[in-house]
Amino acid sequence: MNRLLSTRRLTDIASHAYIWLLLLLFVMPFAALVNYSLTGPRGEFALQNFAYVFGSFTENLGWSFRISLLTLLINLAISLPAAYGLVRYNYPGKHLLFAFLSLPLYVPAAVLGIALVLTFNFTYRLTTSEWGLVLAMVVGSFPLMLTPTVVALKDLPIVFEEAAQCLGASKWQTYWRVVFPLIGPGIGAGMLLCFIIVFNEYLVTLFVKPTFITTAPVRVFNLVRTAGLLPTTAALAVVMQVISFLAVLLFFRIYGTRYLKGTYLL
Amino acid sequence: MLLLVLPAIAIVVLFLYYPLLFIVQMSLTEGSSYLSPAGPIYTLQNYAEMVSRYLPNVLVTIELAALAAIVDLIFGFPFAYILVRKVRYRNLVRSFMVFPMFGALYIAFGMRFLLLPGGWVYNLLKSFGIQNPQLYGLPSVVFAMALFAFPFMVLNIGTALSNIDPTLEEAAACLGAHPLQTLQRVLLPLSRAGIVAGLMLVFGWSVGAFAEPLLLGSINEQRSLAWTLYQRGVVQTDYGLSTTMGIVLLILAFAVTYVALRQSKGVLGE
Amino acid sequence: MSSVRLDGITKRYGHTLAVEDISLNIAEREFVTLLGPSGCGKTTLLRIIAGLIEPTAGRIYFDQQDVTYLSPRARNIGFVFQQPALFPHLSVADNVGFGLSVKGVRKDVIAKRVEDMLALVGLSGYGKRMPAQLSGGQQQRVALARVLATDPRVLLFDEPLSALDRNLRETLKYSILDLQRKTGKTAIYVTHDQTEAFAISDRIVVMNAGRIEQIGTQMDIYLHPATPFVAEFIGANNSLSGVVTSVQEGEVTVDADGLRIHCRPHSAFREGDAVLGYIRPENIALLNDKDDHDVHHIGYINVFDGVLDRVIFEGATAQVRVNVNGRELRVDVSGAQRLTLSRRGGRVRIGFNDVTLIPKPA
Ligand SMILES: Nc1ncnc2c1ncn2[C@@H]1O[C@H](COP(=O)(O)OP(=O)(O)O)[C@@H](O)[C@H]1O
Ligand SMILES: [Mg+2]
Repeated sequence: MNRLLSTRRLTDIASHAYIWLLLLLFVMPFAALVNYSLTGPRGEFALQNFAYVFGSFTENLGWSFRISLLTLLINLAISLPAAYGLVRYNYPGKHLLFAFLSLPLYVPAAVLGIALVLTFNFTYRLTTSEWGLVLAMVVGSFPLMLTPTVVALKDLPIVFEEAAQCLGASKWQTYWRVVFPLIGPGIGAGMLLCFIIVFNEYLVTLFVKPTFITTAPVRVFNLVRTAGLLPTTAALAVVMQVISFLAVLLFFRIYGTRYLKGTYLL
Repeated sequence: MLLLVLPAIAIVVLFLYYPLLFIVQMSLTEGSSYLSPAGPIYTLQNYAEMVSRYLPNVLVTIELAALAAIVDLIFGFPFAYILVRKVRYRNLVRSFMVFPMFGALYIAFGMRFLLLPGGWVYNLLKSFGIQNPQLYGLPSVVFAMALFAFPFMVLNIGTALSNIDPTLEEAAACLGAHPLQTLQRVLLPLSRAGIVAGLMLVFGWSVGAFAEPLLLGSINEQRSLAWTLYQRGVVQTDYGLSTTMGIVLLILAFAVTYVALRQSKGVLGE
Repeated sequence: MSSVRLDGITKRYGHTLAVEDISLNIAEREFVTLLGPSGCGKTTLLRIIAGLIEPTAGRIYFDQQDVTYLSPRARNIGFVFQQPALFPHLSVADNVGFGLSVKGVRKDVIAKRVEDMLALVGLSGYGKRMPAQLSGGQQQRVALARVLATDPRVLLFDEPLSALDRNLRETLKYSILDLQRKTGKTAIYVTHDQTEAFAISDRIVVMNAGRIEQIGTQMDIYLHPATPFVAEFIGANNSLSGVVTSVQEGEVTVDADGLRIHCRPHSAFREGDAVLGYIRPENIALLNDKDDHDVHHIGYINVFDGVLDRVIFEGATAQVRVNVNGRELRVDVSGAQRLTLSRRGGRVRIGFNDVTLIPKPA
């Protein structure tokens, strides 16, 4: 048989073609947005749509960054100790507890939204403060921080902690000088996932946001719904995705992709 | 040690489990009577109404999610297999695969542009001789939902497949099995847990789809529960009915997620 | 530089006894090895001494101080693990200085000490490297330097060489002994490798199933194993089971598996005692047929005729299986004699003197 056209070679070519075809499908919606965002009123190439980004949208972006940052900080503060408590100690019901903490990931956003807005209204009186929104983001996203941290901690041999202890380090010194630096990539992966999710969140936000806050994705959503298919709106959506993608690239640059194991990203 | 986990527990109890219990209670009250000075009126009427008036909404939600899961399985299994067995440039693939994660909103929005008269898909279909195609409807919605959840399916099947020793396939081949027989008798049985988990998780995630039916669907798909819930709850402040829809949605999502999580081994391992 | 005293140490995991009622005295500056098969509780005992595990019962003393419930950092011990366990994010110098730095020692003092320690283990000038840039043996030497930098009272080693290849093991075990002698630290060393234990220990503690079988020097353990376990675990041994038939002026005669054996045991036996007899293969001689008849002239009190079953040439030695009255004995032959062994099925004569007798356990 002709070596160039052997069955093995053909299946290989077909396999890679299949992968690339699907990857193309993945970026199609994004490519379409880019295409339209660069189209002027008469169908010509134009950058003017992006000028719109620097108008009132900067305020929305500002809110999104602010909410994301606050959420990240709270997520860190609750996930790091929780991961340690889940991995380094043994007690009955540990797996159940982890499932109990991970459950928010599986609650549909609309359900979380309606449940939170009602309790914020009637129980917590949080509807008029940005903290309500932040806490809603926290509960929906902290499992994304917890999981990679747990994985990283589980993969970290306990011998490093024992060595530090035997060398005279206190519990805190062991955490700060040994454990945290060594699970850094895991924590970084968690922060990346949380940032991406919270930065682009619009559904829960629609329910629980106080009237004075409009985050960037909510603005995009409102524009899509009310103003139809404007190239300027496409420009905003492109900017959002580019910011998110830059965060991903930054992480890949620093740590590579392997630390995202066990999370949404393989 | 439990002290370390306590803040996390507090967060989920205060902002997830209590609110969920709260909407269970709310779903048992009439309209917005919870707010009335006379006190809430308890009733099962909302659930009766779900059956009598909103059954089509429930069914279309299930239909869309199930179709998305099946589409993901059909396209995801070969994808995962090739990725695990043949692809060296996995980092590149992963970089591409983050796009759906930015949110269904952008996918749906981008696809609207594609489906527009004059859009790429529209033009493509026209070049095949299809005139005035009806592009807003079930196929577009399912496609967008499938795209959004695709990485989930690949993750679950890929994990299962990468745990299968490649020599098993070689052994089957050496014993004279046709590749399709190897698939049917070796790969599928051994990756069953991953497939089931993938199907369930995709379904569980997709029942809550919001932007895709809204932006890409016809009237029929726009009846899906998440969007109806939003309208009844936020726009019309019918708390009783909207929370009931929330409960139904939650049950749909959890029933399958439970099965999925039982199938896949936990992050904590043994 | 402390003495260590263990008093009735027991560790229980659910129903398994990992360590059972161990008492042991270790003198200042002594090098003691815990030797035993895998799973016998060595690591558990060592980690109890370090304070990484709390014992279920018993007490630990460093000098006169009761340290049973002190944390590892309060005990001031140096623990060398199986893997070097160098902190991968810190340089070699920062690793070695870690113990001083967590105690808040001044930076320049640490730098000086780090230099001294690296010189001590022969790695001067490696301070700036990262652990990943060192070979396995170098990493383990840095681990030693890191432990010594804190000037610990006791050095604890948990199979520190088992992850290294053979040549490295050979040289590093003497480096460890050397450092221990130079610094005068008390050392407790865990291994399952008897040549390692024999090479470096002052005393060896043989453990089995969570208990101590025998404590003694290399000679004690090799020549006079106290229990059947020690006799079979240390070196190779032919084991026979029999009954004492006569005792005369310290010479004991035993009928064992069809052989009548004479020996001069260390302890007293009486007629009728059930015993186990052990004869080391290297202590049995293959005799020429010409050295016949008067056995006492050739210096062997036990001489048997047998049939050569099998010769296994192993290089420096040859293993020979000799069938005596249906009982197979292993004989190790070294020297020029091993090169002339070619006959199979031929008749041979064997002779030996040293037999270890141990009362048969009930
Ligand atoms: N954390 C533990 N839980 C339960 N059993 C254990 C634990 N650690 C050790 N063991 C048991 O205790 C015994 C002794 O183990 P170890 O001290 O590691 O042996 P060694 O170091 O001599 O190989 C083994 O049977 C082991 O299974
Ligand atoms: Mg051990």
